[in-house]
Amino acid sequence: MSVNVRELLVGFGKGKQTDISTANLVGATWRLNKLNTAPLNPQYITEDDAAEAGKGHEFATQTFKSHVLVGPHSIEKYISSEWVAWCAAFGLGNVVKTGTTNLVYTCTPTVPATSGIELPYFSYIEQTRPGGSAIFDNMYVGCRLKSFMASIQSGPGRSASKMTAEFVGSGLITTPSAITLPARTAVKELPGASLALTILGTNYVTLKSIVSLDWGWDNAPREETGFFPGSGTQAGYAVKGRIENGDRIPMLKFVTRVRVGAPEFTTLQDLTTGTAVITQTFDANNSYTATFQQMGFRVVELGETNGLMTLSVEASPQFHASNGVLTVVANTNIDGICQ
Amino acid sequence: MPKVWMKPPDGGEAIEVEATPEQLTPLMVLGYTQWTPPVAEGEEHVG
Repeated sequence: MSVNVRELLVGFGKGKQTDISTANLVGATWRLNKLNTAPLNPQYITEDDAAEAGKGHEFATQTFKSHVLVGPHSIEKYISSEWVAWCAAFGLGNVVKTGTTNLVYTCTPTVPATSGIELPYFSYIEQTRPGGSAIFDNMYVGCRLKSFMASIQSGPGRSASKMTAEFVGSGLITTPSAITLPARTAVKELPGASLALTILGTNYVTLKSIVSLDWGWDNAPREETGFFPGSGTQAGYAVKGRIENGDRIPMLKFVTRVRVGAPEFTTLQDLTTGTAVITQTFDANNSYTATFQQMGFRVVELGETNGLMTLSVEASPQFHASNGVLTVVANTNIDGICQ
Repeated sequence: MPKVWMKPPDGGEAIEVEATPEQLTPLMVLGYTQWTPPVAEGEEHVG
């Protein structure tokens, strides 16, 4: 039997789970395409008794179940209003939803003092030929975002505008998933050509100088604290009872053509700070705006891109006393994201 | 401009603010979260 990797069906929680171990119901699940074709490979970790004394030799005589690791696994997609809303909501964690048909999701990083250091959990489903003769049909329960990263490049076509979400799971796996995935959600993709970008007061699109832009967020989840006394087991393997944020990292870097005087060097030298505002638009009801509330430049490097002199700039996002680090406002027609 | 109720982290009284990033962001940074007021008997939610 041969199976084409593109037979893979992917669905995941549009809404959040009620807790780490309670799977999304089918009504809170959506089905979307993704670009990376590799399926998720759970790792069943075992151990043996080779190191133990008393056997009369140094060889193993028995293996034991230890734990299950799920991820990190990534979902790479073209940027759409729905996808940005989902990534920002699950990746930042503090979400305000307004509107009824044309919805607005305002997302900021959670505040540990009031919300703790866990993020909303979702279920991730992969199926190939689901039904009676499924090749596989797994639901990974208790997943949460590790990071999300937008990549906007020069060039035509959808591949110039991608966002990749990376997630890790608790280790809870339901096989078969018992989920009949809904019809694929139609998305409103946001092309790279729709970008508006102002960094520290400079409109790099008006200047026609922007070459590429990457921005995102990494929660650096604590892998080691998920297993604790009582964290849970499944079929004899330990699973995680929590997945907590580590030291979170906002990220923004861009490549721009060199301008007269290369003022980016001055910005770096003078430790100038300001905002970065990034917008991509499909129509009036499908867009996003990401605002880094305060940032300077950490690295400015002179180089070249396709024979033209460019500067590669790595920003250093900071915490603004009133507005925090990052606000993502996503407009979309899809209701129930992270609700 | 639609409005939204936001509840402070200390469990205090919720406030209603315009749903703009300028209004919401400083509150969210302080730990405010969205709050849905209970529907009073006989009252109907619109929208």
